[in-house]
Amino acid sequence: MTAKATQTAPGGMDPVQVSVMANRLDGIVREMTNTLLRAARSAVISSARDFSCCIVTGDNRLLASAEGLPVHIFGCHVQTENMCRYHEGDIREGDAYLDNDPYGGNTHPADHTFMVPVFFEGEHLFTTVAKCHMADIGNSIPSSYYARATDVYHEGALVFPGVRIQRDFANIASVERMCRARIRVPDQWYGDYLAGLGSARIAERRLKAFCTKYGRAEVKAFVEAWFDYSERRMADSIARLPQARLVNRGRSDPLAGIVDEGLELTVAVEIEPARGRIHVDLRDNPPSVDCGLNTSRSAATSAVVGAIFNSLDNDIPRNAGSFRRLSFDYAEDSVVASPVFPHSCSTATTNVAERLVNITQSAFAQLGEGFGLSEGGTGLGAGMAVLSGRDDRHDGAAYVNRMMLSTNGGPASPVADGWVNYAIPVIAGLMYRDSVEIDELKHPFRISELGLVTDSAGAGRQRGAPAQTITYAPTGNPVTVVIPCDGQFAPPRGVVGGHDGTPGATHLVGANGEEEKLPNVITVQLKKGQAIRGRDSSGGGYGDPLTRDPARVLKDVLEGWETEGKARDVYGVVFTGAIADDSLAVDAAATAARRRELGMAAAE
Amino acid sequence: MRTRISVDTGGTFTDVVVSDETGRQWIGKALTTPERIFDGMRAAIDVVAEELGTDTGSLLGATDLLIYGTTRATNAVVTGNTAKTALLTTRGFRDVLVLREGGKFDPHDYSQDYPDPYIPRRYTFEIDERIGAGGEVVTPLSEAGARETLAEIRARGFGAVAVCLIWATANAAHEERLGELIGELLPGIPFTLSHRLIPIVREYRRASATAIDASLKPLMQRHLTQMEADLRAAGYAGETLIGTSMGGCQHVAELVERPIHSLKSGPAMAPVAGRAYRIIEGQPADVIVCDTGGTTFDVGLVRDGELVHTRDTWIGRRWIGHMVAMSTVDVRSIGAGGGSIAWIDAGGLLRVGPQSAGSVPGPACYGNGGEAPTVTDAAVVLGFVDPDYFNGGRMALDVPAAHRAIGRLAEALGKSADEAAAAVMTIANELMIKAIHEITVSEGLNPRESVLVAGGGAAGLNIVAIARELGCDTVILPKMASALSACGMQFSDIVFEQTQSCVTLSGSFDSAGVNAALDRIGEELERFRRELKGAQDSESRIELSVEARYQGQVWELSTPLPVQRFQGPEDVAKLVEAFHAVHDRVYAVRDSGSQVECVNWKGQIAIRLAEPPQPNAAPPAALRPEPGGHREIYFAGAGRAAVPIYRGGDLAPGAELAGPAIIEEPTTTIVVDPGATARVSAAGNYILSAIG
Repeated sequence: MTAKATQTAPGGMDPVQVSVMANRLDGIVREMTNTLLRAARSAVISSARDFSCCIVTGDNRLLASAEGLPVHIFGCHVQTENMCRYHEGDIREGDAYLDNDPYGGNTHPADHTFMVPVFFEGEHLFTTVAKCHMADIGNSIPSSYYARATDVYHEGALVFPGVRIQRDFANIASVERMCRARIRVPDQWYGDYLAGLGSARIAERRLKAFCTKYGRAEVKAFVEAWFDYSERRMADSIARLPQARLVNRGRSDPLAGIVDEGLELTVAVEIEPARGRIHVDLRDNPPSVDCGLNTSRSAATSAVVGAIFNSLDNDIPRNAGSFRRLSFDYAEDSVVASPVFPHSCSTATTNVAERLVNITQSAFAQLGEGFGLSEGGTGLGAGMAVLSGRDDRHDGAAYVNRMMLSTNGGPASPVADGWVNYAIPVIAGLMYRDSVEIDELKHPFRISELGLVTDSAGAGRQRGAPAQTITYAPTGNPVTVVIPCDGQFAPPRGVVGGHDGTPGATHLVGANGEEEKLPNVITVQLKKGQAIRGRDSSGGGYGDPLTRDPARVLKDVLEGWETEGKARDVYGVVFTGAIADDSLAVDAAATAARRRELGMAAAE
Repeated sequence: MRTRISVDTGGTFTDVVVSDETGRQWIGKALTTPERIFDGMRAAIDVVAEELGTDTGSLLGATDLLIYGTTRATNAVVTGNTAKTALLTTRGFRDVLVLREGGKFDPHDYSQDYPDPYIPRRYTFEIDERIGAGGEVVTPLSEAGARETLAEIRARGFGAVAVCLIWATANAAHEERLGELIGELLPGIPFTLSHRLIPIVREYRRASATAIDASLKPLMQRHLTQMEADLRAAGYAGETLIGTSMGGCQHVAELVERPIHSLKSGPAMAPVAGRAYRIIEGQPADVIVCDTGGTTFDVGLVRDGELVHTRDTWIGRRWIGHMVAMSTVDVRSIGAGGGSIAWIDAGGLLRVGPQSAGSVPGPACYGNGGEAPTVTDAAVVLGFVDPDYFNGGRMALDVPAAHRAIGRLAEALGKSADEAAAAVMTIANELMIKAIHEITVSEGLNPRESVLVAGGGAAGLNIVAIARELGCDTVILPKMASALSACGMQFSDIVFEQTQSCVTLSGSFDSAGVNAALDRIGEELERFRRELKGAQDSESRIELSVEARYQGQVWELSTPLPVQRFQGPEDVAKLVEAFHAVHDRVYAVRDSGSQVECVNWKGQIAIRLAEPPQPNAAPPAALRPEPGGHREIYFAGAGRAAVPIYRGGDLAPGAELAGPAIIEEPTTTIVVDPGATARVSAAGNYILSAIG
């Protein structure tokens, strides 16, 4: 209990009433989320959970975001602002709008954003927003991630800059027809369109009931009180950090022939505890590149904001109130947050954005023990590839989908080991994993192995989560596999003495069993008899592995996550007994000696 | 029918409800005795026997039917106190229980370790074999390899074996053969085959259920056998049934075969009680059922007079606990109760929970050294709870301690103690309101058109306030509210369920395959009914349903079948329409152009044990009772005033009173807010009108 007497919010709002109303609002966003998740058609939404719902005020401030993906949290207010500007004087109840313009506040074109303006007593009080990553958006290749796209024309996405898609609650058929004429497996897209729109419409109904219950004046007073509260929480959390200027760099994977060395990325974070503010400088980054790796302002900012939230109290509301305590410097022309049209931002939410999360959260670890996180595993590898083709079991019906089968390992924190089902830094474990059986039912391919890779984790006092491996092969027709992986060169780094994780890799397995290593970004047509074997990256460690609790090392060895060899050589833990008869135990004396020996060797 | 006894053994208390042939009920409570469950059960029955002027032996001797609900299996799973169990998987899928189905709360919280698998990886064994999605054998079962593995399992002293192979639902041959080999090489070791227990698509949840079931077999077999022997020794000669998570009950023999059904069986019985009470009281068919314990708040539903089932059931927290995956009565739990602690966060807002003072030290008013202000302390400060009549007067409350705790909070908030205490109640109610909203929303139920049934010791404190916020007028607070689950058992049927997987699209509907699956389900249900002792002549009812989705969707919705078998396209059209209607109800979206993909087919038989509850006779003549006294009580908006206090024992059927008022029962206190009314029905239940 740190607070003294409560400040009274504008309008003399009772803080108990603020809590109650915030709780109701949070419930509305959760209902949006649940509706979208369960009703969506593609696995990328309903399973991989690549979507976010939020409520924006009528004057375009992000109000409530519940369990949205970190990479979607920043920018929806810019989209609603554009919607208001584009349609000034002609927005009314019954309208709905679609936006996916990365130059207009959206993350990347794959994220179709559905916006419904909510009117109460004639006033546009809120806009409900559902942002969904579509399995296909009409790109020139069958993937909504096109890392090698030289510009937006080469990328080929249909772009909707705040386009009206409903009037008087009915579809504007032209837009639907445009999409059906161009997007692969249009029924799947349409199912997701219905789910996204349905989610925004449900929130519209609930918000109207909310306004009816409390009245317009009370709702407006609440909004300001909630922003003020969120800002206080943010300021308080920042005030407990040390003052520092942290500069951290990292490198993305190469893109052969375009960015051969990868991109060196830099994030500078200025923490001003006395003012309760954090300032981020993103200017020291390369100019836009002729491929899909550019990050839109929204995606890059979201990545950094998400990583900052990773380093603060974990229940601070993410909205325009807490964002008041953050400020940014952007470059004029940069792959980070400042792409110049017509550069493509096709993979804006993954590749470079993943690195930005890692660079920012591990920058906080420069503050020393107890701060920040290590780097988490990166890259959409073979287990998260986009698969497409024609299913010979169903009269050649077309399919396209992103898998979520094997994933990267999560970062270690000062107090916990890495989360196994992490996916990538911008998803941060929120997704569901596909079922092997469901994926085999829906696509003509078969998975022959899926599991953890022993000894792959970044060692540390807290250990990164291990890597996973997967192998799959077509059962009939060829399968086109698109992999835009950014996690096979620079492995996730450990912090505060923790070790680095291990990088991923993709192999093509021929009919004769021979393996050929594939580039990190690759489109491959897999024929019957061939298989893809992928390995994801693992999370980095936090703290010196020689200080890891031997009981945790014992458990890792018993469970086959780490071997006795690694325990001895990296963690300095020596055992007696055997796994098979449950008699394995830590040899305390030998462990102490071994740790002294390793510690001295390291000091030399 | 003569006497019937239902027993609900919870973590702390064992509740017993005894009913006679006229339907009259008595309640007994005693502390649960984990070492020998029967001791606590006997103590609780003693309470009733004494009230009836008899002894437990005679009461048991006069009893035909005893229904036993137990948390034994749940506790064993939670504490990891189950058999050392081996899991056999398809080669390449050793990590099925490690990898789970994903999902995580709070993207910015990195303070939690990743959860352990239900069966350790070192107890998981890969078998050389593979079935394909179409049921084809991709890799034949290596019999030699399997024998080697089973020999190792024997040598390492496992107590149970779970078998879950990829696509065993499409072709069970390999699992069946492994079952034979286990019988041959590990005689006497119980095992579970996934396709027999839970033939649904999705390997993680099938493996999880299979592993949990196998791990419980040795324990539950011992436990139930012992319990029955103890009962017999005490003079009981009637039938023993065990409560299940399906909201029904089963014979001991069936439960021993599938002990997983006893997980969460207690909470599942509260909606069963709700289903009965709404009929008895002539209320609408949509019911929200709340059960308020000391530390948890459970909410379940009755929709159109029927229980609502789900497969998304977990022991422990969603995603990080262990998935049960069996079709169970949908009951959602949140950690909220009298012990929840109120605090002020860094932004100056009042919060309640998730931290709880538990029972030790407990709320400040327990006088056991607890200093943090809790919901119970707030209730004491407001005057809701009579400090001399708490828990029927069995526990004296330290009122000054409650005032000190709430006073500190009030100072920090800049409010009076009364205002602060009312604020704590409001925020605590919010948590419960949100839990109710989440389940009603996801099932398409409108609280304004529903009735609330409230149970649990603390239910009466805030149920009127909660009902008001939900816009729900009528609340039934049964006379037996403090033993809602045990009451539910009194009204439960014998329920048995069978599932078959047959994946097919509505556009190319496999009528033959589906009908064959339904035939197999029908045969199994019929076999169950036939073999049921003493119930051959009972009325039974079979319900068929399908777990289906729009083509391409990932998550299924359970849809009742509009036909018994599929004869032609018009039957398929009826099914498609039924699915559209369910989808529209739950998600407010209908995709009329889409095909429907049917995945799992389900049949449930309910065999009636009791006469169905009947609506009350004509309402009793209205009475205006006199209060037993008055007490100073604070209501937000109304301030502090002397409020009439009624003793439940003084209120006869027909009694009517208007809020503000307090009704005190030995095990619960009912707060009737200003503007609300209460009456006692012919059946003796409290009917509260929240809106008045």
